[in-house]
Amino acid sequence: MEITCSQRLCQILICSAVQRCRISDQLCRLSVVLKRCPDSDPPVIRVSISDTGIGSCLQEFQGLIYRRNHASAEKWDGMLFITTTSISDNEIFHYHLNFKESAAARRLTRLPSTTKNGLKFSGTEVSLSTWECIDDLVEGITCFFQKMLILKVPKVAVELVVERMTGSRENFLLAKDDNLLPCPMSNIECLALGFQDYVLKHGNMFDKQCPACLSRREHLKVGSGVACSSDSLASTGQLMEAVVIFRELPDASSLSCLRECSTTKVIYFQDFLPSVIPQSPLNALRSIDWENYGLTIKTYVVGESGHAVIEWENLPPSTHIDIVLHCYHKKVKIPRTWQKTQVDRNLAKKAVKLALDNLKERYKGTLLSAHAVKICSYALDLARTISNLILLSNDKEFQGECLSLLGLQPQQMGEGKEVEDCIQEKIIAVIEINDRKSRKSRNAPDFLFEAENIHEPEDEEFQGEEGVSILDL
Amino acid sequence: MDGIVRVVFQNFELKSTSPIIRTNAGEEMSRRGSSSNPCDLLKKIKEFTRCLLEDLRRGRSPSVTLNRYRIYCTDPSGKCCCSSDLHMGKEIVSLQKECHAYRLDVLLRVLLIIQQLLQENRHGSKRDIYYMHPAVFSEQAVVDRAINDICILLECSRHNLNVVAVGKGLVMGWLKFFEAGKKFDCINSPSKAHPVPVFVEEVEGIVSVAQYILIVEKEAVFQRLADDRFCDTNNCIVITGRGYPDVPTRRFLRLLIENLCLPVYCLVDCDPYGFDILTTYRFGSMQMAYDAKFLRVPEIRWLGAFPSDSKKYGLPERCLLPLTAGDMKKAEAMLLRCYLQREAPKWRSELEMMMQRGVKFEIEALSASSISFLAEKYIPSKIQGGGYI
Repeated sequence: MEITCSQRLCQILICSAVQRCRISDQLCRLSVVLKRCPDSDPPVIRVSISDTGIGSCLQEFQGLIYRRNHASAEKWDGMLFITTTSISDNEIFHYHLNFKESAAARRLTRLPSTTKNGLKFSGTEVSLSTWECIDDLVEGITCFFQKMLILKVPKVAVELVVERMTGSRENFLLAKDDNLLPCPMSNIECLALGFQDYVLKHGNMFDKQCPACLSRREHLKVGSGVACSSDSLASTGQLMEAVVIFRELPDASSLSCLRECSTTKVIYFQDFLPSVIPQSPLNALRSIDWENYGLTIKTYVVGESGHAVIEWENLPPSTHIDIVLHCYHKKVKIPRTWQKTQVDRNLAKKAVKLALDNLKERYKGTLLSAHAVKICSYALDLARTISNLILLSNDKEFQGECLSLLGLQPQQMGEGKEVEDCIQEKIIAVIEINDRKSRKSRNAPDFLFEAENIHEPEDEEFQGEEGVSILDL
Repeated sequence: MDGIVRVVFQNFELKSTSPIIRTNAGEEMSRRGSSSNPCDLLKKIKEFTRCLLEDLRRGRSPSVTLNRYRIYCTDPSGKCCCSSDLHMGKEIVSLQKECHAYRLDVLLRVLLIIQQLLQENRHGSKRDIYYMHPAVFSEQAVVDRAINDICILLECSRHNLNVVAVGKGLVMGWLKFFEAGKKFDCINSPSKAHPVPVFVEEVEGIVSVAQYILIVEKEAVFQRLADDRFCDTNNCIVITGRGYPDVPTRRFLRLLIENLCLPVYCLVDCDPYGFDILTTYRFGSMQMAYDAKFLRVPEIRWLGAFPSDSKKYGLPERCLLPLTAGDMKKAEAMLLRCYLQREAPKWRSELEMMMQRGVKFEIEALSASSISFLAEKYIPSKIQGGGYI
């Protein structure tokens, strides 16, 4: 779907509302109301984006860059109406921001403020008028919210209200109850949870649950990792979160709704905003030694929608891998400008590797390296032979000792298969430990090298990085 | 790989009371003599299995420490200790590498077969073992290596495992002995070939009136001597391993020498392979370096054929073949072996001379002028005239 300029503006305004909610330590509500003005021709849609986060200091709006073009001229009049108040304010402030005004100093007009009558609350409403088709706007914003729901931004409830005609209201409460859980969850836990919800949906569409596709959460193997740049060295406080979900569909052949399993679309968020994946994390993904996890990249492309699409080689037909990345700053900040901060390549690489390692650690036998898989192929034979060395011995006392070492009961002696299975399980466990250890030891010098690289300004990956969130109107 | 390995489980090494800890070669020889009976070997196999399980129980890879053995090196300084029979370094076999996992798989499969052989007091050949899992073993050499590893692991010789080779050696001459109660009376017909006994440990009652033992490299030469009734007129014992000698032939030869204290001569082709076979009799083979002290025959004297024999005995030019590139490569490699420099410098000089001349010839070439030349002239004259080194 084409993203028009008004929609892009709405996305950025929603994003800044989210940031205000994040800074607030309270449960917040974020409402987007689309209201059609009945008598206007062409039909005007009034868009209101309001939040109960901290009030706005207007910097985020003043930093917006307005580039006029024919399309935007026809769809938006360049005006924003802002109403905001902080918890400590006694008044509600009203502003009018005219982006058509060429002199920056004259863009902002302060309107008469309103008294709060001694009440304590905070919040912001930004409204604008657009001539966009209301259906396109609803579809675009819904899709955007649904992507945002993957993040499960803590303590923020999201609602979309559409009034197509007077008296007709359609409400969509987009945030779920579990989003408002009383127990505090970290951002990565929220992301992992939200991504599982997303993965469980039919064909990874944002809005369709499908019982035919794998619909049970316990079938998902989830790994997550967070990499942070060092404050003392970089002072950016930048974080990269990664969640990797590995799942095996019960019976791929029976699923008519099954989409292409051997590809992974990497979903990317920048500062809580669904975003096109920038070049540096893109390169970082490519540079991961996937073979350590038993994976081989066949093709690696950036799809039309700006997502990285990885096609795997030799991935079993019923297996699927999903990856999401989220880059943001530990300390919430309202951006003064909408220029994108540079994304550290090594952070993305580290976060994905941590997520893969975490997944491997949590689920036995998953993502074993190609090397470990080969060694595992000997486990059964080794187990059978060792089992026979015990069971075919003519020394009963020895057999008893061996069973005891294996943690088995003497009566299980008769069940050769049990002894064999027990040994095989232990051998595979050892191979998995070796696999993790060998990767850690391989990663150790790598990590030192990366740590140096993090702060190296001349890294060619940092060159030519372009902003991703400029309000390019 | 330049050497053979001796396998000792890590856990064994950690235990100070372990029976497998070695201090020196002499001690090991006496120790081996006392711990190679089937009962002791079965105990060791069980201890080995326990160690495997203990490793697994602790979440450790069943790691095996391999002590490497070799009978020679290529250190030109002569300061090596290859002659000490001590191990030279270690190798770790665990589940870290795929090739090691396979090696462990094979080793355990063969060990299981051996455990059964020992428990049931039966014997099996290396080939029998190979055919137990031919698809897994893929070739005989894989089984052979596993057997060697197990000998190293259990500190014993191959025959102690009840694994026997199909004997290929032949013997004739002034000799009488019993093998497992069965009488072998070669003296009745000294020029008749008998197979070398496979169960050498069961040989007893050796009686001989021979004055020396002659080893010949090839069956063809052995047969020539038999046809010429060499042993009828020469009081000797003739043995052939038919090429590279197998373990029973070398063990039987050792037994004869230890019992009869006779001088022993060796007749091989004048080419790098003949020379290599000669060194195998005297110094042992690298593949079974761990057991070389029980198989080698240091007393051997090289009777021929020497490179100089071609001129001395007027060999026709047509019998002299140029050394191939492969021959030269093999000879060059053999020249570097430390034991030649240290213990057989004259042999080494002859090998150098062979390379300088660039030609080789077979023993049979000496019979070019007369079919019985070997039996009637060459061998007797060399032995009587001291024409050996």
